[in-house]
Amino acid sequence: MDFSYSEENLRFRDELRQWLKTALPAGWGTTVFEPEDEDGRARFRLDWEHKLHQGGWSGISWPKKYGGRGATLIEQGIFAEEMARARAPEGLNIIGRNLVGTTLIHHGTEQQRERYLPKILSGEEVWCQGFSEPNAGSDLASIRCRAEREGDHFIVNGQKIWTSFAQYSQWCIVLVRTDSTVPKHKGISFLLVDVRTPGISIRPLKQISGESEFNETFFENVRVPVENLVGELNSGWTIAMTTLAAERGPEDALGRQVRFKQELDLLLATAARLRRGAGSAIDDPVLRQKLAKSIVELEIMRLSCLRSFSRLIKGIPPGAEAALTKLYWSHVAQQLFESALEVLGPLAPLTGGDPRSPANGRFQLSFLHSRAFTIYSGSSEIQRTIIGERLLKLPK
Amino acid sequence: MNFDFSPQHYEFRDAFAAYLGEQYTLDRHRAAANDPAVHAQLWDGLTELGLFSMLVPESQGGLGLGFVDLALPLEEFGKALVPAPVVDTLVATDLVLRYGTAAQRDRLVPALVAGKMKIAIAATEPNGGFGAENTATTALPAGSGWTLAGTKIMVADAHGADLLLVVARFQPHGELGLLLLEPGRSGVTVRAESTLDLIGRFDEVGCEKVAVHAADMLGGTPSAAAVARLMDVAATVAAIQMTGIAGRMLDVAVAYAAQRMQFGKPIGSFQAIKHRCADMAVSADMARTAAYYAAWAIAEDASDRVRACSIAKSFCGDAARFVCNEGIQVHGGMGFTWELGLHYYLRRAKVLEYSWGDAAYHRERVIAETLAAPAKA
Repeated sequence: MDFSYSEENLRFRDELRQWLKTALPAGWGTTVFEPEDEDGRARFRLDWEHKLHQGGWSGISWPKKYGGRGATLIEQGIFAEEMARARAPEGLNIIGRNLVGTTLIHHGTEQQRERYLPKILSGEEVWCQGFSEPNAGSDLASIRCRAEREGDHFIVNGQKIWTSFAQYSQWCIVLVRTDSTVPKHKGISFLLVDVRTPGISIRPLKQISGESEFNETFFENVRVPVENLVGELNSGWTIAMTTLAAERGPEDALGRQVRFKQELDLLLATAARLRRGAGSAIDDPVLRQKLAKSIVELEIMRLSCLRSFSRLIKGIPPGAEAALTKLYWSHVAQQLFESALEVLGPLAPLTGGDPRSPANGRFQLSFLHSRAFTIYSGSSEIQRTIIGERLLKLPK
Repeated sequence: MNFDFSPQHYEFRDAFAAYLGEQYTLDRHRAAANDPAVHAQLWDGLTELGLFSMLVPESQGGLGLGFVDLALPLEEFGKALVPAPVVDTLVATDLVLRYGTAAQRDRLVPALVAGKMKIAIAATEPNGGFGAENTATTALPAGSGWTLAGTKIMVADAHGADLLLVVARFQPHGELGLLLLEPGRSGVTVRAESTLDLIGRFDEVGCEKVAVHAADMLGGTPSAAAVARLMDVAATVAAIQMTGIAGRMLDVAVAYAAQRMQFGKPIGSFQAIKHRCADMAVSADMARTAAYYAAWAIAEDASDRVRACSIAKSFCGDAARFVCNEGIQVHGGMGFTWELGLHYYLRRAKVLEYSWGDAAYHRERVIAETLAAPAKA
């Protein structure tokens, strides 16, 4: 056990710090913030993605031949820490990097990797995820969106839901039913679908935050070339498990921890500033306990990711432990934003746009977003079942 | 950067686990009912496994290891309900090595390595809350030395200890420091306390006009730094043990849920039980993360030692509380019986939860540290 960094690690960190100084806009985080409208924000995040790529900071631990930096997971951890420190913006192509990249590295053909991976890192191609359907949520294997072989193409018909960022995406990973005569897990295939193909239509869904990050996506006789099949026909369920493990795993969680940590820092600064009777909110012992609990829990979230990295570096394959990670952070983050509103106290109802709203409504928006944490990427109930059955080996 | 233990660490753990699993089961505890001979046998067994040599540098006859090497064994001690004098002596060994004078080290270290020296820590006071800063036990100058007065509670087997490591203030409002006193010294009284923990004993130690000399002072001079390290190390060691208890309680509950039949099925097949066990597993695993990191922080005396220890003590305390309570719930009525014995774990966890600062005390330290050093946070 050793938490010190090697010379090489430190060089990486210093180089990144230098780069961040010039890459972030002047006044970033103090006077300059992300655009508030959704489209502007998406463009801003994509620009940041391009910038990272040009600087050589995209795909830290991906192989060089696919456009990555070829560094280790340790450097990936340093990268996350530095992004938190600099309050750097989020990227847009999170699904591409975290989900599609990992899946193709594990299950794609060499041709597929060479074709898709570099453009994920460069931000040229943004990805979305077509897994869930209106009647296949927690019971994901019961998907009905079907693909039938016709010559060199699959013809896809059906509907997907909760396809986040579909409106900004060029590509989509889609789970389709390719055999309905076998048990449901055994007739699923994994396709890479160009969102611009005729027959695809996207309808935004409005979320409880008022935004429309996610969508319904409809497929009507959509022609997908057979070379866009990942893995074997009807082996899509196994491949989807890799995707879901990546979605719930430590790399994804560490990136999120960075965001939560930034919000926590902002919350602490806000609590110091906000008057509460004779003192500041930060002097209230009850609020201090709650803030401290979030500090503790987020630090353990970070350390837990590093612990998982150490196992991965040793070659221990990722598995059902990802469910522990996801179940933990989702509830911890929800508690953080509940506490944030408690810190705001009587100002908590005032949202962005109101001149008295602290941090311009940031915490209210994050609070609303946080309600999704325990639902997406597999609900808490699904995670608990996975932990119970696969890690604890309790009977079905 | 590596947040994992080495294969040797796991072998070490297995050696302790095997020994404790054979020699020191809950049934044995209960059958022996605190028979001093059983405790003495345990002490000898652990000495033979090298426990008391671990922290001691090779140059002083030890194994030259540290708290990272001790973390997994300490977790096993939590699981096996090893009585408190064992870990107190380990904590005291760290302090003697780091802060003792050469003469004190020469006198104590060989005896510690040989397993012939039990040191009980006398820090907690009845009216002092959790921080050492409220220590009322005070040494006043008298002649060429000092005279000590005060009361300590929850001292692990002061009666059977060779030495007490006492947190005291030197002069009213003066600096804190550590004293090494024999429990038999004139003016020292020892009263067995009635406590939640059923294994081992705890004592109240009263000091009235106890004559103290410079040679009794650890390091020969008051040292707030030594007291601060004592509190952090003791808190971390408690956190690691609570992690072990949580792990044991989880294992026991899962095993029970897998075989206990109701409604014609194992109760572990019901989501109400399965999901409860999953939440326990998350708590126990995250507690490990916090406890192991704190072990590293005290081993290295890292710059974030205070924060790391307080993170671990608060989180592991909450985790042990949660997992013990839920573990009993999973067992239903059986869990509430004296006979099944889950209360031994619950009781020990409770004592550890309220030793060396409870969760609320340590959370306050975490936020104070964070606000004082925002750059580090």
